[in-house]
Amino acid sequence: MTALELVSRLTELIYVLIFLLVVWTAVRRRTRTSVDIALFFGAIAAFIVESRIVTTLGLQQVELVNDVVTILVIAMPYLLLRLVDDFSTVPLIASRLAEAGLIFAAIGFLATTGQPPTPIVVVIVVYFAALALYCAVKFIRAARLSSGVTRRRLESVAAGTLLLGLTIFVAGLSPLLPWAAGLLDGLVQVLALGSAVAYVVGFAPPPILRRAWQEPELRAFLSHAASLPRLPDTASIVRALQDGAGSTLGARATIGLYDREANKLRFQDSHGVLPNEIGPSDYLVWRAFEAQHPRYYPDAARAHPALAESYREHGVRSLLIAPISAAAERLGALEAYTDHEPVFSEDDLDLVRLLADQAAVILESRSLIDEAARVRALEEAARLKEDFISAAAHDLKTPLTTLVAQAQFLERRAVNEPAAPADLTGIRRIVLEARRLSALVVELLDASRLEQGKLVGEREPVDLVELARDVARRESYQGRRITVSADVPVVGSYDPRRIGQVIENLVENAVKYSPDESEVRVAIAERDGQVLIDVTDQGIGIPAGDLPRIFERFHRAANVDDRRFAGMGLGLFICKGIVEQHGGRIWVESRVGAGSTFHVVLPLGAPSETPTPGGPA
Amino acid sequence: MVDDDPSIVAVITDILSAEGHEVVSAENGQEALAKVNGEALVLLDMRMPVLDGWGFASRFRASGKRSPIIVMTAAENARRWAEEIGADGYLAKPFEIDALIAAVERHATRPH
Repeated sequence: MTALELVSRLTELIYVLIFLLVVWTAVRRRTRTSVDIALFFGAIAAFIVESRIVTTLGLQQVELVNDVVTILVIAMPYLLLRLVDDFSTVPLIASRLAEAGLIFAAIGFLATTGQPPTPIVVVIVVYFAALALYCAVKFIRAARLSSGVTRRRLESVAAGTLLLGLTIFVAGLSPLLPWAAGLLDGLVQVLALGSAVAYVVGFAPPPILRRAWQEPELRAFLSHAASLPRLPDTASIVRALQDGAGSTLGARATIGLYDREANKLRFQDSHGVLPNEIGPSDYLVWRAFEAQHPRYYPDAARAHPALAESYREHGVRSLLIAPISAAAERLGALEAYTDHEPVFSEDDLDLVRLLADQAAVILESRSLIDEAARVRALEEAARLKEDFISAAAHDLKTPLTTLVAQAQFLERRAVNEPAAPADLTGIRRIVLEARRLSALVVELLDASRLEQGKLVGEREPVDLVELARDVARRESYQGRRITVSADVPVVGSYDPRRIGQVIENLVENAVKYSPDESEVRVAIAERDGQVLIDVTDQGIGIPAGDLPRIFERFHRAANVDDRRFAGMGLGLFICKGIVEQHGGRIWVESRVGAGSTFHVVLPLGAPSETPTPGGPA
Repeated sequence: MVDDDPSIVAVITDILSAEGHEVVSAENGQEALAKVNGEALVLLDMRMPVLDGWGFASRFRASGKRSPIIVMTAAENARRWAEEIGADGYLAKPFEIDALIAAVERHATRPH
């Protein structure tokens, strides 16, 4: 036996073995792809077996058997195209052309007897080679769009197909070039062997190879995994896990998180067949979740016929589902899906289980981080509350000090010098400090109500321009110029008392922190369903360092002289709360020495989250 | 008397003047440092703009001045703050005027 013959026998053996393997698979799990693969290799195997029997036993070819085998061989390119369609998508025109070619070749073969004329052989060889090349290109393109095992499998299949195309092309050339027949025959054998090996690897990769192929994506996913629990929110983590699982499996993935109280799985990026929430039901994912066992469904539509239509519509064909659980804790389920059936195999169950376990670890770490953050937030809230009470006590004690001291001093005078004239200055001081104390108490109560969300009350139609003019009239008693510029009445739905308080506070601040002769301007304008209120002064301005904190509780800018500008530092905090509870925004632009502009934006209508039954009053 | 609240300064000035003391006031630590001139006693608020009680006390002592200091504060930790700056006594706001007068009379040194 020559080396060439050995290669040839080996190639034939491999093809026959593949055929047996794929027939076994097709019998066990009859899907379109497994049948297509079996047919394709069946055609090759039939050809090989028939010619081997004929040459070894020196039998005369039986006409009928020969015809069947030849037609099977002629059908090979078409079967190959069907396979491409299983893994990727073949345009209708290409399918039709392949069918036409198949019919033409079959008729051509049946109509002629003996050796077909050269032009027909050339046409058939070109048809074979072109179709194989086309299929190889399609497989390569499908591989490019894929990742992980799938990508490498498709690459192998593409290589097998390319080599098969070359084999046919060279084999077809050989009768036309008799002087090179020996060389070409050798080439055909080598190409055919290469093609056979590539097909084995592509269609039935041994587990070791499968694992090696999974490795790069899996490694990338695992090395990335440690940082996932620190992502800003659970939704981002779920998305990263989905991407990682999808690229490792060469498919797409969706994760449903289990809500124990509602007994529901919630999906944020469902593939369309699944609703965003599913409770106990016979959805495949729920079944796997309930059973706490990973499942593989090569044909989802067949596994759950009630949803067949929906699976088709959303391009979901094969599913791999694994529960995500940490110890006894059920966290959710991972569903990997693909629109092409042969992407997954039974072997992938281990991988999907591994990915689901990894997801469980990441989600568990996340919930521990969240738990720790919650505790810290509670501690922080308690500390803020304590700070608030102690700051409030401090600020209340200041006027109280004057009140107590002044009252005792007046009392002492009245006792010691009954005839002395009344100390008017002292009495006025008491009145002033008592007012200050009561204003502080109101401010404190407002801040406290604000934190409980109780500050803003009933909304009603309010003309902001009129409201601002009222404030301007009240505040301009010291002879300050306060101008309100607005073209038309601007009516929206607000709590008039609280919005009035905001305007008053901003105008008061503007007056307080600017020179007596300077002007304070209030501008009100309506734009795109929103109201803009600007309060501008030419005062001392706010240092850049204080701008971000100016709306915080008890914060007062560094250049605010507490002696001249009494107050608790709660005013802007309260303003911000009122504006935000109206669905608006407040911010400030300022330059030290040049002045400040406070901007308020309010929606014209009531915010949608608090619908008023029966419409606005 | 160093305090940033004008009402408190006014009423304490009235009370101590009626007791026959002379009162010099400043609204923050920096102004006080500029004004001090051998006073018999310093009544010191702690939280003030520009230069607070701690800043005043350390510079005051660093300049070799020995006048006693009494801390007056509305904060809860008046006593601790007084200890921190090595003050001679403290008055937690609001205080009784008898306590004020007694503290001044106990700690004030002779003018020098």
